Amino acid sequence: MTETPRTPATSRPYRSSVEQSPTSSGPAPANLADILERVLDKGIIIAGDIRVNLLDIELLTIKIRLLIVSVDKAQEMGIDWWRNDPMLNTSAEKLRDENKALRERLEALESGSSARESS
Amino acid sequence: MTETGRYLFAVTRGLVDGELADVPGLRGAPLEVVERDGLQGVVCEVSLDEFGEEALVRNLEDLAWVEEVARRHDDVVRAVSARGTVAPMRLVTIYASDTSVEGQLDDLRGKLLAALDRVEDCGEWAVKVYSASAVTGSPDPIGEKPSSGVAYLQRKRDQAEARRAVDDHVTLVAEHVYAGLSEYVTAGRRLAVQDPRLSGRSEAMILNAAYLVPHISSEAFQAAADRLSERYPDVAIEVQGPWPPYSFAMLE
Repeated sequence: MTETPRTPATSRPYRSSVEQSPTSSGPAPANLADILERVLDKGIIIAGDIRVNLLDIELLTIKIRLLIVSVDKAQEMGIDWWRNDPMLNTSAEKLRDENKALRERLEALESGSSARESS
Repeated sequence: MTETGRYLFAVTRGLVDGELADVPGLRGAPLEVVERDGLQGVVCEVSLDEFGEEALVRNLEDLAWVEEVARRHDDVVRAVSARGTVAPMRLVTIYASDTSVEGQLDDLRGKLLAALDRVEDCGEWAVKVYSASAVTGSPDPIGEKPSSGVAYLQRKRDQAEARRAVDDHVTLVAEHVYAGLSEYVTAGRRLAVQDPRLSGRSEAMILNAAYLVPHISSEAFQAAADRLSERYPDVAIEVQGPWPPYSFAMLE
């Protein structure tokens, strides 16, 4: 038997803060996520003299956006935009680190086993 | 004496002297305008103790600090936007001096003018669509425990199928709403949907779109959103705007 969604669709359409002034900027929205989505992610990106590591900001955005929700969960929900962001593409770096760690482990294992063999 | 920098909020044109006098910058510093041949950068002085490279690395990890600066940044951009065409900068774009800002305005003159042209007489509208039936998690059904492993697997399969059907439906509704509003806009783009904990709503966000809408079309745009709300009563369509054109004033 097919499970029907338990939650009835009771939400009603609504609009917020748009009635008063159609052409001037409306009242500042209270939602921090909406603001950060724009001032951190969007806007013109030009280099200032103060070099901020964009990676730091982007990572912060992710943290804020997900509130430390797991990456798996994020992908499940379709939040995976950082995967395509070259600024965030740290996979090469990660791979390098991982390779290094693996090489070290391998060396340790090999030297361990050769030590056993020779004994 | 501490070192200072120039925080650039936005680039605009056509501001009259003193027009931003009543708008505070960051930490109470007044806004100033750096002008190069009609192109204007809206700046304020900031202390490098707080906005220098080292300090920023620390401060950007502090959500309360980020919120305060982000809101002020947005307030200033909005104030500029209310007075003319605006190209907002990303948060914490900081220069050593006005000379440096002027150099940037000169170097990017063509691109900045093109960006301003693109968003002139337009506002950015945010359209979010929520669906109560698109559950983001995978809730366990109510009812008795499955009698056997086979029954358990069957139930899991049925659940997955039901979820897929719901997902397909909401995806389609999201597409329709997104496309249905395009007629009244200059440009549109889809942003990543927000986590329910950020949107502050229990329903799943199925569309997070931004549109660049000419001011003269904003009423038609809102009316179109109303019609879509009536057509799709099982979703909630939230329209907010106008924002300054954050998502559209990019350099090419």
